[in-house]
Amino acid sequence: MMKTKLDLGIPHSDLASCVSCGLCLPHCPTYRVTQEESASPRGRIALMKHAADTGFIDEEFVEFMDACIQCRGCETACPAGVEFGSMMETTREALATQTSYQRWWRRVGYRTLGWPNFLAFGSRVLSVLQLVRVLPKKLGLPQIPLVQRKLLSSGNDVFLFTGCIMDAWMRETHRAVQRVVEATGNGVQFPSKAAACCGALHVHAGLGDEARRLAQRTMAAFPGEAPILVDSAGCGAQLKSYGHLLETKEAKQFAERVLDVHEWLADHINELPQKPEKSGRVAVQDPCHLRHVQKSHQSVYEVLGRYIEAVPLDDEGLCCGAGGAYSAFHPDTAADVRDRKLASIERTGAPVVASANPGCLLHLRSAGLEVRHPLEIVDSLIAKDV
Amino acid sequence: MVQISTDAKLFEDLEAVLGDRARSGDFELGLYGKDGSVLQGKPAIVCLPLDTEEVRQIVSICRAHDRPFLARGSGTGLAGGAVPVGDPVIIATAKMNKILEVDLDDRIAWVEPGVLNLDLSKELSPLGFHFAPDPSSQQVCSIGGNVANNSGGPHCLAYGVTSAHVVAIEVVLPDGNLALLGDLTAEPRGYDLRGLFVGSEGTMGVATKVAVRLTPNPPAVRTLLLDFADVRDGAATVSAIIAAGLIPAALEMMDKRAIEIVEAFVNAGYPTEADAVLLVELDGLPGGVEHGVDVVRTVAARHEVGNIRVAADNAERELLWKGRKNAFGAVARIKPDYYLHDTVVPRGKLVEVLEKVYNIADAYDLIAVNVFHAGDGNLHPILAYDSNEPGVLERVHAAGRAIVTASIEAGGVLSGEHGIGLEKRDYMGMLFSAHDMATQDLIREAFDPQGFANPLKVLPSGSRCSDSFHQHVPEGAWV
Ligand SMILES: Cc1cc2nc3c(=O)[nH]c(=O)nc-3n(C[C@H](O)[C@H](O)[C@H](O)COP(=O)(O)OP(=O)(O)OC[C@H]3O[C@@H](n4cnc5c(N)ncnc54)[C@H](O)[C@@H]3O)c2cc1C
Ligand code: SF4
Ligand code: SF4
Repeated sequence: MMKTKLDLGIPHSDLASCVSCGLCLPHCPTYRVTQEESASPRGRIALMKHAADTGFIDEEFVEFMDACIQCRGCETACPAGVEFGSMMETTREALATQTSYQRWWRRVGYRTLGWPNFLAFGSRVLSVLQLVRVLPKKLGLPQIPLVQRKLLSSGNDVFLFTGCIMDAWMRETHRAVQRVVEATGNGVQFPSKAAACCGALHVHAGLGDEARRLAQRTMAAFPGEAPILVDSAGCGAQLKSYGHLLETKEAKQFAERVLDVHEWLADHINELPQKPEKSGRVAVQDPCHLRHVQKSHQSVYEVLGRYIEAVPLDDEGLCCGAGGAYSAFHPDTAADVRDRKLASIERTGAPVVASANPGCLLHLRSAGLEVRHPLEIVDSLIAKDV
Repeated sequence: MVQISTDAKLFEDLEAVLGDRARSGDFELGLYGKDGSVLQGKPAIVCLPLDTEEVRQIVSICRAHDRPFLARGSGTGLAGGAVPVGDPVIIATAKMNKILEVDLDDRIAWVEPGVLNLDLSKELSPLGFHFAPDPSSQQVCSIGGNVANNSGGPHCLAYGVTSAHVVAIEVVLPDGNLALLGDLTAEPRGYDLRGLFVGSEGTMGVATKVAVRLTPNPPAVRTLLLDFADVRDGAATVSAIIAAGLIPAALEMMDKRAIEIVEAFVNAGYPTEADAVLLVELDGLPGGVEHGVDVVRTVAARHEVGNIRVAADNAERELLWKGRKNAFGAVARIKPDYYLHDTVVPRGKLVEVLEKVYNIADAYDLIAVNVFHAGDGNLHPILAYDSNEPGVLERVHAAGRAIVTASIEAGGVLSGEHGIGLEKRDYMGMLFSAHDMATQDLIREAFDPQGFANPLKVLPSGSRCSDSFHQHVPEGAWV
């Protein structure tokens, strides 16, 4: 196999922090479905170590690194506190800058995420194709709206981050979130188009420069000190990491203003309307970037639990396989990983699933489940007269 | 370092059986060179079979090529048992992970060796049963590994170690033949070969199916956390609880350093100011359990116990156990490497040996952390260190030897549950005479005359001199 030079750039002490105890293995989705050491956190760290020691990699190495979903379930499981996520991001960035890891068409694809007009246009094309039924269902796309009503600000108590794909395809979710936040008596403000994309997918792909550019642009779109609420767990995790990404004081201050919208609502729980009784049951899927990265998944249960019985899954937050762009590039692994999630959801017996991350939501929906954003459920229950 | 001689013909033959589940990629081979210990080797080829027949064919092919083989489960062993030396073919059982049959009438389940210990118990839980041996690594270690190491766990104090929970084993013998050791009847016919295989660390063949005993879940459980301002009082309480005629389901101890690192990981409210804690679990019928709680309280009160916390619900109980079960890994929070011993001493000597452990660590300028199965006197002194410090490995080995010596002098043994493997192999002579070891080698030879199964493990070089694979631990195996 062809050997290529690579300067990995991960400090030795970080790589050495793994004691190879293996306790993370069962919490890794790709290990779970393959039982391959090379698809495990322990294996991936050992591979990084080998690459760092020798200064060389081969195609196998790239393949093994690319198969990681970057869910960071391994971090939660690791008693030694190994920071796997940042090691994997550094590895991907080294691959993207020093090898042909991200081909030009993929780079162009990622870049369009930061162009709202282009995304809106592309989405309209998709929508028309959907309307004339030429797109196969199994692509798992939501019904994309042909015409988008504008989101209107209602005050300046809090910002709501809108994002790229989510705004283009699921703007009605933002509207429902806005109504729930307003129900606490607070006004919602929307950022300018400059906050077009958080850059999470770029970091995952190793496109660090692009991600840093997007971060600068996004930060500029949120003047003042109002909290910045996020209704997509993946974007929230990324916005919270700007301090680490840019390493400036400004970025750190920005990151401190960011909250997942459920976190903020849990802090304002008594300001939400009351209902005499709870109606029904919903299974709650914990998005990895809420549970393993932001570590704030409990707030979803608090908010949902005020109106409906929120049932946790029994899989300790094992990833569903969506992983941002992962399910598009690794459809087979993503589907195998999802099968475990489906089994876990089925064991709850609940008819509906709540997911606080659009990527997971769409990935699960494409398996035929009814999946809704937690706050869409809350919004409809608040509106219901009982 | 072990030389890499990927015999092309050997690989070709294995590939013909396994397709892309035979591996020889340089990067990938390295991943199967390590387990949970500090040792490192490199295999010649890695095989990932799906069933007994494939294992049988792999072993036969190895035999035809005069090549040793090594069974690997989840690679969590702490004695280097799964670390390849002598250029073997690795037979990784991870993909053999099916629960084949659950028989509630006979209370037995047939499982493949790659089934993970906790997965089995979770699967059985809705039926009201579990697999009793619960090593702290239970979320990831395999049943095959448990059998090979005769593993124990916190709850083995009352329930017994793996051997008591394995009824029969299907084994691919080193000559490639299939054998069923043990049977489902109460009394074995003839010699208890099943008993011989359990704990043989992969040196008598590859387990391909295991019949395990199902243990009913207890109707009531109580978990107590006792803290002590002096580790000696904690140790004295351990002996006093057993002397009072009580056998708790589990009786674990952690010292101050262990409490600190564990609490940093789980945030379970472990008392970081205490000198030691005992984690005591009682299970059985509700009346008996409450009586047990009273006994523990009374006994502990006589030994200057500080606070006694009783877990209010299952979530609190699980959180406390999560802390205990993640302790080894959490040691990396103070130093990146650790070396773990596994000696057993008489309960009455716990305090004395613990003090020696601290003194030895001080003398060699190392950090000792103690978290262990106090109820059966099974010490796990952990020496934490940074392998980047020059000369530190020599100190770690010298301190390790001193700890083993102190334990054996106190009337103890070399290994409670982690096995001998590669790491403790050269200590065997401290416990056994040359004659003892030669006898053990004869038993091994009865199963494996050529020494193909997991060579160079368990018995030190020269137990019976003729064996060509017997040599010292290769220098490069230490990292
Ligand atoms: C954090 C941590 C905590 C631990 N706590 C405990 C504890 O509380 N109690 C305890 O007893 N141990 C403990 N261990 C040690 C280890 O987990 C056990 O020894 C476990 O049983 C090993 O299982 P494994 O599947 O990882 O086996 P491996 O490490 O892969 O192999 C261990 C040995 O078994 C052999 N083997 C594996 N599968 C087979 C098979 N199918 N047929 C024949 N031989 C086979 C191998 O050749 C090797 O010699 C701990 C380890 C860690 C990392
Ligand atoms: S990443 Fe953490 S849990 Fe996984 S093997 Fe390394 S130390 Fe153990
Ligand atoms: S980030 Fe997720 S997929 Fe990647 S190694 Fe960790 S647990 Fe596995």
